[in-house]
Amino acid sequence: MSTTEAAPERLQESHLRRELRTRWIPRIAGYVGFLAVWTWASGRLVEAFLLPSPLAILKEMWEIIESGLFSVHFFATLQKIAIGYSIAFVLGTAVGIIMARRWWDGFFREWVVSILTTPGLIFALLAALIFGFSPVGPIVAIVVTSFPFVTVNVAEGVKALPKDLFDMARAFRIGEVRRLRHVVIPFLAPYLFTALRYGFSVAWKIATLTELFGSSTGIGFMMRREFQLFNITAMLAWIFFFFAFALLLEKVLLQRGIKRFFRWRQESVVT
Amino acid sequence: MAWEDIVTSTALPAPPTFLARVRTFVATPRFARILSLVLFFAAWQFVVPLLPTRLIPLPAKVLGFMWDEVLGNTLGRTTVWEAFGISLARLGIGFGLAFVIGVPIGLLMGVSRAVENFFHDFVVVGLAMPSLVWALLTGVWFGLGTGLIAGAPIITVVLAALPFVIINTFEGVRDVPRELSDMASAYNVSRTKVMRHVTIPSLMPFFFASLRYGLANGWKGLVLAEVFAATSGAGWNIKYWYDAHRAQGVIGYALFFILFALFVERIVFQRFSKRVFKWRPEIETVAEPGAGLAQLEAEQLVTIGADGGIAI
Repeated sequence: MSTTEAAPERLQESHLRRELRTRWIPRIAGYVGFLAVWTWASGRLVEAFLLPSPLAILKEMWEIIESGLFSVHFFATLQKIAIGYSIAFVLGTAVGIIMARRWWDGFFREWVVSILTTPGLIFALLAALIFGFSPVGPIVAIVVTSFPFVTVNVAEGVKALPKDLFDMARAFRIGEVRRLRHVVIPFLAPYLFTALRYGFSVAWKIATLTELFGSSTGIGFMMRREFQLFNITAMLAWIFFFFAFALLLEKVLLQRGIKRFFRWRQESVVT
Repeated sequence: MAWEDIVTSTALPAPPTFLARVRTFVATPRFARILSLVLFFAAWQFVVPLLPTRLIPLPAKVLGFMWDEVLGNTLGRTTVWEAFGISLARLGIGFGLAFVIGVPIGLLMGVSRAVENFFHDFVVVGLAMPSLVWALLTGVWFGLGTGLIAGAPIITVVLAALPFVIINTFEGVRDVPRELSDMASAYNVSRTKVMRHVTIPSLMPFFFASLRYGLANGWKGLVLAEVFAATSGAGWNIKYWYDAHRAQGVIGYALFFILFALFVERIVFQRFSKRVFKWRPEIETVAEPGAGLAQLEAEQLVTIGADGGIAI
């Protein structure tokens, strides 16, 4: 009896052990190995100023935060993204709604596809050339590059609107406003959020890229400055800030907001 | 009398008048497409001069610049043909290296769970990494490359394309149909035959995906790296015109880039994928969030990286 009772436990234990062996040990080995090689190489294999050790970069990041430079440039970038992306989202949604018709699809399609395939560098340079160092340049670049992503997703959602629900609403004499509130908006919501996410992942990259060329504030500007000063430690510190910034906005704020919005659903559609 | 009326009424309808034909043409999407192009150029020609800036050149000036470039007389150091040639050669070398490094890693990851977990997180970070970061880093590490074989641009291509090659090879190995290889071993099919008829056909779409995503991401990284750390190439040329404050040069090159992208996506890849996937039935796209981009992608119009990340 006792052996049969112990069997599942042992099975579970061996499963855990296997999980440990095939999943966690290699994964941790990867991280440790990477950091060890990096720390060892810095100062031995390559000069320390060319490849600063992870600790040196962390120290530099802390100094940047303490000096107050971080919050200045962080909020400068954030502000441009907030303004530019709000405009892009409203514009993209409006164009997406009319693009659900075939005629308007023909009208906008070439432009949407061209913008989607062009390297962001071109829009960054054009914005810098036309608007100089004013904050308008980055905002225009964000609007132009991120609105097609919104448009394409919204158009897809509008095309897929459930016809039967509309028919039923008409049969039951449901008013225009209630139909919008209870049929159209709940149906379009996941499409709008997908659009929000895709567009956003473009917006923050183009924002920093534009700051590289035509700006005197922002994370991108600081990356460029340290690049020109050949201060690799500080440049890497700003690159890590850039990542932290994107992770914070994309994973924490956006995804949490989306989860909150879809609390009423049985399972989340947007992953 | 009565039946004569019937005959005349069932006779062929009168041919549509000219006005009616114009009206039906105006309602077609093709007309909308032409109209949007015409309106764009009209706005450029007639609205831009009213703006309070003198920095936006008129279409004639830009088209003149482009025509001169195409004919080969340029004020720059290289013509557009040479510049794109240099960049494409670098892209080819870099992608070749990424393929040679990435395929073995992807194969190993597909075979062994331990190897998969060792590399997995790095590959994911690599997929999300903006190529701008690679361009700046290789710029400070390898400096200005002067020749065709410039360090920074080529290594940027390798780093930008590598995660896409690895992840697609890995997915491909995972996707080799188990029951087919089981059946092959039950019927004693030779190893080379299995390789030829089971493994390679099922890996093919994944190699193709790595080619598309890897090249697209590598191209965007290459252009940036040429801006920061090279003295030739298409990216360097656009920066040259930017530094010279010749807006017609920048806009002209922007149009060259768009034409190039459309050419590659629509003609080269479309032909190629049709040839490679002749044996496959059509892909059906379903309407779900994100399907819009997937649809464009299926029509070979846009290249989106794995995970929906769009490389800039």
